[in-house]
Amino acid sequence: MDSSNKKTIYISPVTRIEGHAKISIQLDENGEVYDALFHVNEFRGFEKFCQDRMYTEMPTITPRICGICPTSHSLASVKACEMIQGIQPTYTANLLRRLMHISQNLSSHALSFFHLSSPDFLLGYDSDPAKRNILGIAQEFPDIALRGIRLRKFGQEISERITGKKIHIMGIVPGGMAFPLTEENRKYLLEYIPEAIATVQLGINMIKSFHEKNKEMVESFATSPTLYLGTVGPDGGHELYDGKLRFINEEGIILQDQIDPSRYLEFIAERSVSWSYLKYPYYKPYGFEKGVYRVGPLARLNVATRMKTPLAQKEFEEFKKIGGGKPVHGTFYYHYTRLIEALGDVEIAEQILNDSEVTSSHIQHHGRWNYAEGIGSSEAPRGTLFHHYKTDETGKLVNVNLLIATGQNNPSMNRSVLEVAKQYVKGSNIEEGMLNRVESTIRCYDPCLSCSTHAIGNMPMEIEIFDSKGKTVKRVVRN
Amino acid sequence: MQNITIYIDDKKLEVESGKTILEVCRNNNIEILTMCHLEGVLDVGACRLCLVEIEGVNKLLSACTTKVAANMVIRTSTERIKRYQRITTELLFAERNHMCSVCVANGKCELQNLGYKVEMDSIRYPRLFPQCEVDTSHSWYVLDHNRCIMCTRCVRVCSEVEGAFNWSVKNRGYQVRIISDFNTPWGESTTCTSCGKCLHACPTGALWPKAIVQGQLDKKPEIIEELMAKRKMGL
Repeated sequence: MDSSNKKTIYISPVTRIEGHAKISIQLDENGEVYDALFHVNEFRGFEKFCQDRMYTEMPTITPRICGICPTSHSLASVKACEMIQGIQPTYTANLLRRLMHISQNLSSHALSFFHLSSPDFLLGYDSDPAKRNILGIAQEFPDIALRGIRLRKFGQEISERITGKKIHIMGIVPGGMAFPLTEENRKYLLEYIPEAIATVQLGINMIKSFHEKNKEMVESFATSPTLYLGTVGPDGGHELYDGKLRFINEEGIILQDQIDPSRYLEFIAERSVSWSYLKYPYYKPYGFEKGVYRVGPLARLNVATRMKTPLAQKEFEEFKKIGGGKPVHGTFYYHYTRLIEALGDVEIAEQILNDSEVTSSHIQHHGRWNYAEGIGSSEAPRGTLFHHYKTDETGKLVNVNLLIATGQNNPSMNRSVLEVAKQYVKGSNIEEGMLNRVESTIRCYDPCLSCSTHAIGNMPMEIEIFDSKGKTVKRVVRN
Repeated sequence: MQNITIYIDDKKLEVESGKTILEVCRNNNIEILTMCHLEGVLDVGACRLCLVEIEGVNKLLSACTTKVAANMVIRTSTERIKRYQRITTELLFAERNHMCSVCVANGKCELQNLGYKVEMDSIRYPRLFPQCEVDTSHSWYVLDHNRCIMCTRCVRVCSEVEGAFNWSVKNRGYQVRIISDFNTPWGESTTCTSCGKCLHACPTGALWPKAIVQGQLDKKPEIIEELMAKRKMGL
């Protein structure tokens, strides 16, 4: 095709996701979508500026990568530090860490579903964009907005009650935890559980009802098959905090199972692309083109054999029916799986809070530098996260590699954008609802691009259509 | 010692001669900001935060190194002094790489507290962002030049209290740095006794034990004074 006949539509910035990104859609001479690219325009440089610092500082520095998933970074980081020291956390510390992780997962999933995504389901994709946000929900459905906000509050409250901070937590230290949970705080958090379960179930009912009413769209919405990566327990059960890696293929066949996260480099490789600061990771044995895999709630539920708690297990079984024994590829199902995870989170939080050891003061083992290399992983809300440190004999970092969840979803996000663009964008006459569908494809993955949050979703969207010579042929500004 | 009359902030005081303005102020509950001052070791007037106005003297003088004199009229909290304190604090932050949020001393740092005290809501001077070394060569401790404010409390504690003379200072101006022995890695020092007093003396996160992370730092600068008091008593 002659490239001079192509036009490019830019959607920038993408609203209601965490971070800054731009989508460009290239049209051919007939106005059909030819290609779509998802750009990430920010550069952070953590891997570089953490070099030459002490490895024990990493659990403090790396939570600053993200305001939404600081606990996952802290956990992956302390695990890498514990591998360097050759120690394990105490039983109570493990309980508190699980609780902290649940806290973050809940508040992140609540933010993603109730604050960022529910406006699309409740108000409609084609509704006024100025009102299609959490404030619009607060006006139209005040009860739902309030319950969503309180669910997020519960998540953050757990973190504050343990470490004294709601975001950018501290206190997760190599060998355990720096702060214990008091009996008073344990009781306080337990009282929240029934309300949290009810709110998550409300969300599940909302998304199920949306699925029913929009069956055609949900089942055709960016359904391109990919591989999946997630953490599982010894019996293949769903796991967020500590487990082994499992890869499955498009058909659900297990490619790798019970892989220790320290072996991640044997299975994952990365490649940089010229048009984005986000790297392109892929499943190494399949190569760059065929090795596209996804992580996150959809991937975790696709790879898992079961959930660990009864209510979540019940929903999990319903979810598995959608795929008929095979992985569910529909990107839209990220929302549903996010809520099933949230349900399991609340149930596990209740179990932990009822554990007699959770308020014990035996919270830290102490160690010192013993090994040069450490690798830690955890399941961030958006997917599997790896921290890999190499140190010199004094403990100073000589190399840092951070493999972030959103990065791993990057290739498939790009693929999904192209699919949806082909389905909904026709020519340069852009309708508001169409653009939002492209954007909402990205939102399904709940990407955390730079950790600055735009929860309100009032940002203007600017769309520009360029010809092949870079000349603007059309410019649309959404207030 | 002879008693003399002085005036601080329009308040008449009978004080012993030979005392510094800072000592007198502290004894009379008059607040003076300090950073390089540490009870138990000699003052050097390095940080310039304790500046006071003295009637008849044009320039501001440091309270920690200026002794009281009969009929001295001193002012400790004029607008001019506050302005200078704010400027000095901002310059301390601008000179090296002070990132409180990820610092091991976050929440327990004298420099951070000073920033709050002078209501530093921004830094008006361009940050230098120097390339600073992190010396991790010691088995137990870390020296991070990024967070050093050159108060030299570590230098004085090491020489005056421990008597090891490990710490010293090299270069001048913005290139000034704390050095171990004759500018060798701390871990190779032949004079350091690994006593850890310099860690307690350090007001920031420049000196800290490897075994701890943010939230666990527990510096006790007051132990230096207690040690010196015991030494004077021959204990």
